[in-house]
Amino acid sequence: MEARIAPQMPVMEKLKILAAAAKYDVSCSSSGSSRRNDGTGIGNTLAAGICHSFAADGRCISLLKILFTNECIYDCRYCINRCSNDVPRASFTPDEVCSLTMEFYRRNYIEGLFLSSGILYSPSYTMELICETLHKLRTVHRFQGYIHVKAIPGADPTLIQRAGYLADRMSVNLEMATAEGLKEMAPNKHRKNILQPMRQIQNGITANQNELALYRHAPHFCEAGQSTQMVIGALPESDYQIMSVAENLYDKFSLKRVYYSAFVNVNGDKALPAAASEPPLLREHRLYQADWLLRFYDFRVEELLTQDRPNFNLAIDPKTDWAVRHLENFPVEINRADYRTLLRVPGVGVKSARRIVAARRFGSLRFEDLKKMGVVLKRALYFITCSGRMMYPTRLEEDYIVRNLTYQNQMGRGEKLPFMTDGTVYRQMSLWDDGLLSG
Amino acid sequence: MIIRDRLEISGMEEKYMICEDSPEGIFTAIYDAYALREGHEHIHIQVGEEDDRRLFAVYLHSSPDLGKTEKVVRTLRRRLGEEVYLTLCQAAASRYMDKGEAVYRTVVSGITEGNGRRTMENLRDPYVARCFALARRTANEVHHEIEFLRFRELEQGALYAKIGPENNVLPFVMPHFADRLSVENFMIHDVGRGLFGVHRAGQTWYLVSDTEGFPEESLRWSREEEKYQELFCLFCRTIGIEERENRALQRQMFPLRFREYTVEF
Ligand code: SF4
Repeated sequence: MEARIAPQMPVMEKLKILAAAAKYDVSCSSSGSSRRNDGTGIGNTLAAGICHSFAADGRCISLLKILFTNECIYDCRYCINRCSNDVPRASFTPDEVCSLTMEFYRRNYIEGLFLSSGILYSPSYTMELICETLHKLRTVHRFQGYIHVKAIPGADPTLIQRAGYLADRMSVNLEMATAEGLKEMAPNKHRKNILQPMRQIQNGITANQNELALYRHAPHFCEAGQSTQMVIGALPESDYQIMSVAENLYDKFSLKRVYYSAFVNVNGDKALPAAASEPPLLREHRLYQADWLLRFYDFRVEELLTQDRPNFNLAIDPKTDWAVRHLENFPVEINRADYRTLLRVPGVGVKSARRIVAARRFGSLRFEDLKKMGVVLKRALYFITCSGRMMYPTRLEEDYIVRNLTYQNQMGRGEKLPFMTDGTVYRQMSLWDDGLLSG
Repeated sequence: MIIRDRLEISGMEEKYMICEDSPEGIFTAIYDAYALREGHEHIHIQVGEEDDRRLFAVYLHSSPDLGKTEKVVRTLRRRLGEEVYLTLCQAAASRYMDKGEAVYRTVVSGITEGNGRRTMENLRDPYVARCFALARRTANEVHHEIEFLRFRELEQGALYAKIGPENNVLPFVMPHFADRLSVENFMIHDVGRGLFGVHRAGQTWYLVSDTEGFPEESLRWSREEEKYQELFCLFCRTIGIEERENRALQRQMFPLRFREYTVEF
């Protein structure tokens, strides 16, 4: 069985193939667990995410993100590694993964390892190899840094359990928002097989928390929780469908994060959109913003989108969009409003809302104080008063505010988008409203 | 002249305490300022030289003193708590020279006005706000160095990293790596300040300042060092998605001034 793992290929070559094959997996974050070093090996983990570098696409490089192998028996339509593709194949040995991780980590190149894999022979066979690798890394090399590992759907549950005790985070990719979508895009995968390990990991985490409450020194199971990812823009699902699925995953599966991956048509599939190479980045960005609102701002999907209004406004961010459609809640008095109300003001974030609540105990706040607290006044000014006064005379009207905010964007003074900064305007945007972003 | 007379009569001369640019310097000056027992309204702390001589000002010199520093530190930790104390230290590590006054006034607001553990929350106070802003800049840079500094392996297996931070971040960066790389021998070199953080496997870290001139050219890298640098460069090049290329974002996220010290650019 070992025959297909070819150690004779130079590591350089393997890394090239297996990093390229892993790049579409989004989650590179290293946050969520916090563990000190015990003095027997290298490594610790920090609750705050650490980005060691940034790739040419501007995305963070935090973990050594690789596939164990890009061999695969499945044939997912969106995937470059599907069995019907004729691409160069490679597989690491567990030792190779260990030395790359250790040597990168000591040099402060990475926060840890992100190990995913194509399916070699069978899900269980592959999962076994992954477990062996992680076990070596944790026991032989005494590695105490961050590990994120994929659970392969269909693998023996005992293997998934074992991986959970070796990793900080596990994830199973949901791939598509709907079960039909999954069937269409990944004929060998089934929604049920994906949700099953997800549930297993969730239960494992809950059980572990109880264990830890009893025995402080019990081994940790997925300390940094569980995440998943969905491809967006390959099929005509609405934002409403996607966000509802995400909300469900947070509520019912206690996920830490849901990642959204703008579809890149790597196989030039004519039946799928964006064969012309531009992934829906702006849409992806709006989904992340909305996801943030669900997790930290106490919003529900129904407040942001509805059946009749199933997609986000690409021109303004979801929070501002919500605010201008609910002007009856504004203006909010900074010196009196409670924390939850402050959180809903565009331009006020979690930290600035906390600072406001703390600082106003010393006396009433003025607009210049808000600036020092990190409030984005050019967005907030339409929605707030300080001691009964607005910053400028403005009108509390949807059209007026939207016009002003989009004008700011147009002049490059408004919302900072993570792209378009060098004139790379996402095409759908210019289609949607020509001239909006020119200038 | 008339004005001067009036000032002298009412004893309202402004006093400037000149101190060394270091946390010890600032904390000692705070001790000395309190020791004057004249209230705080007309006393100021100025870090560095007495450059722009003010008319009608009195200059006092305060030189760093370990005993005074320790007393101040003990009081700050007890009365203001660890969190505020950390913020004050971060502000004192700033490269901006108005930090002396900002830290001093914030301490006064915490101790004398009794805001205690809440001191940093009063962002309406311009000195507290300044202290907060300075501390945040230092903290951000500490975080960036923790992300972006790169170790190279020396022949004997020890690790060496060079940094060029704007603020004096080394004392905040060292504890992170001392924990993470507890079993390694390593050294971090702040090139601009001629400062070294040194850690020996299994021991506590310490700072040394470079008086003799560090023979950087004589460092010999290990046999494997180049290979891992190449592997990491390859990894960084490979992991980006061409369809999403966005150099401007990359520049924004990874400021150019840190790149000089990395291996992948
Ligand atoms: S299972 Fe599907 S997505 Fe995963 S590597 Fe194989 S073909 Fe690609």
